[in-house]
Amino acid sequence: MQPTSAVYWFAKCGFGAGLLLFACGVATAWFGRGLQLPSTTTRGGTLITLNRYVKEPVPDVVLVGSSLAFRLKEEYFATPRLRNLALAGGSPVTGLEVVADQPRLPKVILVETNVLSRPTDAALVTKYSRADDARPLFFRPIRTAVAAYENRLHAPLNHARVSGALHQLLERPPSDFDNRIYVDRALQQWNAEGPTAAVQMNVSRIEQLIAEVERKGSHVLLFELPCSAQLEESRSAKITREIVHTAFPYPGQWLRIEYAREELRWADGVHLDERSAVIVTQSIDKALSSPPASP
Amino acid sequence: MTFTSWQFGAFVAIVFGVYYLPLLKSLQVQLLVVSSLFFYGYGQSELLPLLAVAVLGTYLFLILALRNRALWLPIGISFNLVLLAFFKYKFLFIGPASPGAAGLSPIDFLLQLPLPIGISFFVFHNISLLVDLTGKRKEPPDIQSVFLYIIFFPQLVSGPITRAEMFMPQIQPKYFRDIPFVEAAKWILTGFFFKLYVANNLNEMTSYMDFPLYETLRTQDRWLLVFLYSYQIYADFFGYSAIAIGLALLFGYRLPINFNLPYISASFSEFWTRWHISLSSWLRTYLYVPLGGNRHGALRTYLNLMIVMGLGGLWHGAGLGYLLWGLLHGVLLVIERPFLARLATIDSAAFRAARMGFVFVCVTMLWIFFKLPNFDHAVSYLSGMFTSSTNPNPPKLFYDLALLYSLPVLIQHLVSRPRFEQTLGGTEPYLYGLMAALMYLEAGPETSFIYFQF
Repeated sequence: MQPTSAVYWFAKCGFGAGLLLFACGVATAWFGRGLQLPSTTTRGGTLITLNRYVKEPVPDVVLVGSSLAFRLKEEYFATPRLRNLALAGGSPVTGLEVVADQPRLPKVILVETNVLSRPTDAALVTKYSRADDARPLFFRPIRTAVAAYENRLHAPLNHARVSGALHQLLERPPSDFDNRIYVDRALQQWNAEGPTAAVQMNVSRIEQLIAEVERKGSHVLLFELPCSAQLEESRSAKITREIVHTAFPYPGQWLRIEYAREELRWADGVHLDERSAVIVTQSIDKALSSPPASP
Repeated sequence: MTFTSWQFGAFVAIVFGVYYLPLLKSLQVQLLVVSSLFFYGYGQSELLPLLAVAVLGTYLFLILALRNRALWLPIGISFNLVLLAFFKYKFLFIGPASPGAAGLSPIDFLLQLPLPIGISFFVFHNISLLVDLTGKRKEPPDIQSVFLYIIFFPQLVSGPITRAEMFMPQIQPKYFRDIPFVEAAKWILTGFFFKLYVANNLNEMTSYMDFPLYETLRTQDRWLLVFLYSYQIYADFFGYSAIAIGLALLFGYRLPINFNLPYISASFSEFWTRWHISLSSWLRTYLYVPLGGNRHGALRTYLNLMIVMGLGGLWHGAGLGYLLWGLLHGVLLVIERPFLARLATIDSAAFRAARMGFVFVCVTMLWIFFKLPNFDHAVSYLSGMFTSSTNPNPPKLFYDLALLYSLPVLIQHLVSRPRFEQTLGGTEPYLYGLMAALMYLEAGPETSFIYFQF
């Protein structure tokens, strides 16, 4: 190939690249923020959740937690203006840090305390700590096209749309899925963990953050989600419970949730299955609408 | 330093900028050697002495073998195989948790060294050098040429495995005017596109194949993910090889083509002439043929095939899964061999398509042993493909996204190249431009190249 034709080739190549980048840049500025991109990993899901939180109006109730609380889908809740910021694979402290650093806070913040052995995701906290700095996901043409298609097929759910299906789900008997192998595996892991130092550090940070957000007018309530009986007796669960309840001993600091435990099932011994998540969600709804317990 | 990092981009730009300076024209080989050492030592400088020992040791044995081939060639080959065996297979015999068991500090130090990146590749280069050059040459090549052949950075970590007799004659002064810029750009853009757009995005999905995540999958998703992994591993390794070929062209070297649409193979023997071509031709030249190839009857041929494929499997890693993967490929080669001539006489497009589909499905199923080198996990994954899932909370996979990220591999394999190029006409440069933009916009999360671990 002659040098001149090579130059033409690169010029055309650059033009093609520039054209697509320009189009996507314009699209980002125009409507790129409006579409929720599909997430294929928990990390992707986390970014979407936090992006939505910092960009949308402040809700009345926010729930922060780990993968246990992640199972409580927002559409399960009858409580209006509630957002679930629980991060699959993450720490409740990460969500609480992000919420606490926003210019406006929700009225109520619910903090799940089952899993406190994980470190705070400092990168996420830094990225989302000031709402003004939180940039939208850059326009990705393929993912956006899929998002548009998925959103057309499956419009975002809300409680009113799914309440019928939830009612039907609750009428079914509890699952008879045999989860023993998963429970044994999780038990082995939870018994092997020595979470004392990490939990103490996280609890201490939660205390600081609670003091901070309550000074700004929010009310914080802690809650524990049920796990299978074996896991609740595991070393890690017992140590975590003891440290948390020593730090927060008053009933008024806790959201009192009541449910029929025999109705609950865990697909892997740790995470509630869908029907159980709905049952627990309803009990949280009920607790939120009840008058607060005295300290 | 990975090919997809900005540090690598800066490194290539600097080396390229200096390489063709008239002042340094006589030092081009030395410059590439020093650059390659920097590339290899970046982030793992403790392994540079090992690389130096491997190259200098091979050079020494090369000189000796040029004087007495019968004696020193086997010793030189053994030296390299011992290096490979020690670093790659030591944990088959010594637990990784107990490196202090030997009680001797130098051995403990060696035992604690990580697997040197690219050792499987540069050891094969060393053996090729010994065999090729001692068979034909009288005078040993200079040391810097030997270094360059073995550690040339585009091919150092994951190939293509270049034969010495092909590479050494290319070591000559290079001129800027001779660079095939467009060809190099096409290779590099295609390689990055397949890695960043296809492989990295599919990796997000196929990470659900890892233990214990796969236990949550629905049966149909297990099937889907196996096929996605098949596309991913191709895109990943083809991408790497394409980048390596393009980079080498920038410095005046032509590396061998490593892939030729492997998933349209109509037989398993054809597959091995299209997949990782440089490895299969290396194994054929330096192992299968010396073992006797097909010259000693059917049974011996089958045995040779099994040995070559079994060792080829173990070359990828010290694990039962890799061995089984290689042996199963060997079994498929043995089974099809008596029927190949008869199958070739059937002149029917539909029949050939059916054969291609069959070979593709078999090859794809065997990738499970690659993805899950733990044998129990692989068998568990496989058995789950044939039983219905009862997990009430399966993860959601986006099938449309899977299709869109696999599309380049499908198009590349299913659309005939001449027709594709004819359709493109003068718009080809724009297509490469779109690919460049798309790989930036839609790049999946950073993951290392799959073949780096080998």
